[in-house]
Amino acid sequence: MAQTITGFCRFVRAEGLSTGIKESVDALQVANLIGIEDRDQLKIGLRSVLCSSKEEWDRFEDLFWIFWRDADTNAEKRPGTNGSKHQKEPLKGAVTSLLGNSSKGKTADEGGKAVVGASRGEHLKKADFSQVTQNDLAELEKIAIQLIKRMSLRVSRRLKIMKAGRQIDLRRTIRKNISRGGDPIELSFKNRKLQQSRLVILLDVSGSMNPYSLFLLRFAYALQKHFRKVNTFLFSTRLTDITVLLRSRDLRQSLQELAQESAGWSSGTQIGESLHEFNFHHARRLLTRDTIFIILSDGWDTGEPEALAAELAAIKARVRKLIWLNPLLGMKDYQPVTRGMSAALPYIDLFAPGHNLESLLALERHLTST
Amino acid sequence: MAPPTLAKGKQINEVQDVVRGFESLGYITDPALATVLFLGIKLGKPVLLEGHAGLGKTEVGKVLAAFLGTRLIRLQCYEGLDINSAVYEWNYQKQLLAIKIEEATTQSVEEKEKHIFSREFLMERPLLQAIQAEEISPVLLVDEVDRADEAFEAFLLELLSDFQISIPEMGTIGARHVPFVILTSNRSRELSDALKRRCLYHWIDYPSLDKELKIVTARLPGIEEELGRQVVSFVQAARKLHLSKSPGVAETLDWAQALMSLSKHRLDPVAAEETLGCLSKSVEDTGKIRAAGIESLIS
Repeated sequence: MAQTITGFCRFVRAEGLSTGIKESVDALQVANLIGIEDRDQLKIGLRSVLCSSKEEWDRFEDLFWIFWRDADTNAEKRPGTNGSKHQKEPLKGAVTSLLGNSSKGKTADEGGKAVVGASRGEHLKKADFSQVTQNDLAELEKIAIQLIKRMSLRVSRRLKIMKAGRQIDLRRTIRKNISRGGDPIELSFKNRKLQQSRLVILLDVSGSMNPYSLFLLRFAYALQKHFRKVNTFLFSTRLTDITVLLRSRDLRQSLQELAQESAGWSSGTQIGESLHEFNFHHARRLLTRDTIFIILSDGWDTGEPEALAAELAAIKARVRKLIWLNPLLGMKDYQPVTRGMSAALPYIDLFAPGHNLESLLALERHLTST
Repeated sequence: MAPPTLAKGKQINEVQDVVRGFESLGYITDPALATVLFLGIKLGKPVLLEGHAGLGKTEVGKVLAAFLGTRLIRLQCYEGLDINSAVYEWNYQKQLLAIKIEEATTQSVEEKEKHIFSREFLMERPLLQAIQAEEISPVLLVDEVDRADEAFEAFLLELLSDFQISIPEMGTIGARHVPFVILTSNRSRELSDALKRRCLYHWIDYPSLDKELKIVTARLPGIEEELGRQVVSFVQAARKLHLSKSPGVAETLDWAQALMSLSKHRLDPVAAEETLGCLSKSVEDTGKIRAAGIESLIS
């Protein structure tokens, strides 16, 4: 039995669950406690030690039954040999096809590729999202997720200590002043813990943004995953709050659901109108002096520039920083002369490109400085 | 690490014991949750419960304490929660007073210091209480751990691995009886891998119609069968509407209770409209429910 259980642990690890030796030991203990006769119960027990998120939990169901069906039908065959490989492949196929187009399965065994991959990664970081080929997309996505994760961890850590204030530390003060009869003569201070800044992200998903919006959405997703206070909205002709959608589920599922919501993907843009909707419904709740407001848009607006300017002014008055990332800014000779964009410029604290991964990562600096 | 200590005479030998015990306390479990709790008790591992709000995560801790016949120690996490409010704090006022009183004595500064940093002046917060139990292991419920920050999470991880707390002024205090630990998270952010891996993981999902019906009858014994069934199936349908805040079991119970207090015997469109506030907690959600048609949601 022990062999089967460890075999199973190896199997799920190969399938991508993040388990180690400790989990295998736990799994053995679990199997000892509840036995392996009742497969449902065994599944539940092993799941609780081998999974550590809802996503893993959902995948576990299939993995478990594939393995045990296999172990049951040909008891002599060790798991991980050809017997289970047959079953493994179609599943992997299903998972990767869901993922869009990850090339993980194919390249896993080619160790020499790593070096090439690194320089290719550098290249991809600079590539304009709209120019990335279908083949490179998966690679770029992988790098992006890693880098954005690291970046947002750094940023969230720094945001917290940014505005360290001074507060008396009673405990140290008392200790220091015992010899003075307890009168607080020498004061000790501690740094005040401050609330994390809130990020509010508005992402343009109108037709002209098509090459970029999907990628920028992933960027928003990554930020939201690592910051506690992030609210994300999509806009084109109207505004959709997708904070909840991006929060708890995995991105794939979120994207599918998003596609069903008629947020006006790929239609025209009315930035002013959308911002008005934001100001009317959400501004009071979300905008404070601690908020960083990020608009991701190319600035092609079919609405009135005056309306856009008025709404931006209202936002600007309430937030700490207003950032506008424009993918077109990555083009050499782009000038922000569209009526909308030039009306907006006076209210923007930071106007920067957002056409490739590098430019998105550059945001780190601006999220942490005041 | 020695497993937690059970009350004398308390025997838990199989998963069914947990199921029955919880049911007798009015908490309907399913095989999955009961198994995880059983393993948590047997292996002495913390149990991490994740899931949406209002599905009875916190309740698990409370019922577990009642089931084991032990004390419940609860730590509610929030942003900015620090060691002072979670572990221990010195009683400053009392210390100041003591210093004043002892001013006239001939004690040396070292002696005075030793005195004012003794147990007498220590205020025990939940985590310190949890490792100080005298006879049997208490249940430590760390509620909404996702709301605390990473620094606190790291501290918690350390505590959960060796169950000892060191107080610089006093020394290290080790647990006499390792507590049963339940952590809950609404998943407002990802917890660290290290913490998740230390725990048994359980995802609490919205209950099936049958289970929810059972919960309603268990918690509201006076409810009429028809009303209960209607309320539950309405809520189950509402969960499919992609509301920004899907109603949990807590909302189902609130709503059923509200309808009972209004002496409704059946759920009709008027009654539903009047009490919709129990179910939907935002204008947008109310709008969505209305758009889907209250009448069509009533079975």
